[in-house]
Amino acid sequence: MTRFFSTNTSIFIFAFPALFIFTAFVVYPLFPELVISFQKHNGFSSQGFVGFENYNEIFSSKSFWKANTNTFIIVLLSTAVGLPISLLLAFLLDSQTNGTRRYFKAAGMLPAILSVTVIAQMWMAIYEPQWGLLNSLLRAIGLESLTQQWLTDRGIVIFSVAVAFLWQYIGLNTLLFYTGLKSIPKTYYEAALMDGAGPVKSALMITIPLLQEVIKFVLVISILGSMGMFAHVEVMTGGGPGYFSRTIVYELYYKAFMSSEFGVGSAVAVIYVLQCILITLVLNRFVAREKIEF
Amino acid sequence: MRNRALRIAIRILLIIIGIFFIFPLYWMLNMSFKSKEEFYVTPFALPKQWITDNYTNAFHSYNFLVYFKNSLIYTAGTLVLILFLGSMLAYCLSRMEWRFSKYALSYISLGLVIPVNVVMIPLFIMIIDLNIQNTYIGLIIPLFAFGLSACVLMLYAFFRSLPKELEEAACIDGCNVYQSYFRIILPIIKPAIATQCVLIFMNVWNEFPLSYILVTKEAYRPLTVGLANFFMEIGVTDWGLIGAAMILSSLPTMIVYASASEQIENALTAGAILK
Repeated sequence: MTRFFSTNTSIFIFAFPALFIFTAFVVYPLFPELVISFQKHNGFSSQGFVGFENYNEIFSSKSFWKANTNTFIIVLLSTAVGLPISLLLAFLLDSQTNGTRRYFKAAGMLPAILSVTVIAQMWMAIYEPQWGLLNSLLRAIGLESLTQQWLTDRGIVIFSVAVAFLWQYIGLNTLLFYTGLKSIPKTYYEAALMDGAGPVKSALMITIPLLQEVIKFVLVISILGSMGMFAHVEVMTGGGPGYFSRTIVYELYYKAFMSSEFGVGSAVAVIYVLQCILITLVLNRFVAREKIEF
Repeated sequence: MRNRALRIAIRILLIIIGIFFIFPLYWMLNMSFKSKEEFYVTPFALPKQWITDNYTNAFHSYNFLVYFKNSLIYTAGTLVLILFLGSMLAYCLSRMEWRFSKYALSYISLGLVIPVNVVMIPLFIMIIDLNIQNTYIGLIIPLFAFGLSACVLMLYAFFRSLPKELEEAACIDGCNVYQSYFRIILPIIKPAIATQCVLIFMNVWNEFPLSYILVTKEAYRPLTVGLANFFMEIGVTDWGLIGAAMILSSLPTMIVYASASEQIENALTAGAILK
């Protein structure tokens, strides 16, 4: 049967359009990008090859390293803080009634469906030093000493931006984990209970190993998503103060589109994609290697 | 006894966290109905005077309808392309005999590893060279290209779960491959297509980086970029106005969300299970 359908023409018609566009717009651009990273380019025409000069420039620039550190901080926060919180919330959700569950699911999904711009602006208003939600709240409960210049203080700004990003996705991650949780058959827990396992032990020994695939999925999209953070920075702080809240993608954007140094921007992009590939490889190698079945 | 108290405590915790998610939106709603003066005085309370000035001003200075129309065009265009061509590719990979199926599958998975932001620069140059910057096609095609991977992979998994008898039955009835695909197979995977619709809609409607870079003319801006630019023009002085613009921009998504929240939830979490 499949032989009857799988004529060369039909395969071509079914597969070619998508593959062509995909290659042309996703895969192919990587090559000019590599080339441009070795040139001096102003966005319209190349001004000749400059070897590794662009790379040297980035590696010795403070803004690049700050951007890298910031990106690292954000990835760390969203995986080491955000994911455990989401996982915990998913566990808690499991023990609740339908009503509470529905309420929390609805509330948790809300931030994830709003557009980035809306969220960024919303948090700018929250962080406003004079009348913003956060500082007003702190003053109202007598903790005036804790009020800060959330978006203009060099030390805090990246954390403020990270919180906005986390806020958007914690609910969604909780939902993802919860869906994974639900698919684990109850019989495992019953058996464990009969063997005398408490809730914590059964969580550790049954749930988490069986959740491996889901955890890996969430881990990957979390890490890649936080590495690519750009919109929040652009709208909330413009990379500021100075360059203290830049992320690696913002640095890429800044060098190319604001300094018109496309060559340098491309070099940043090359480094960024290498990081992404490295992370994906590492994750694939070390997380959820074997399929666990009981 | 103890169990019950614990459960209630957790419930309270969850309710508080839920408020944490909802409150900012409520606050913005509040803000958009207050006058400037009242806002600076009592940022929290409900407005004593419900002012609609902000909204009327917003309609005048904020090109909501234009942006909305554009977002609609981009989203619909990308959606149709991805579903049409992506499903065909997924079908080919899963059901047709082709030497390169496995390679093509891994190849498409590349799209998940390469984030959009990486190729922003060469894409920008390409689009300009092809003379399609600031056109609808100019944004739809890249969005389509980047949305392909997730869709193809999910539909591929779905196609594989269909029984082979379907094609055999169609074949016996005398269909060629195109008829069997469009008339028989596609309608069967409607739930997967519906899921994809939701996902693609969310991704494209709220997309920012590509739209920001590839569309510079006001007339072609989608909602996300339009709002960002509006904000940068107005500055941080008139938050009531900005609040109104934000609420307006979020209305479409909120309406979709309110009417289809269960489908949305299923769509968003489908990726986790199908793995």
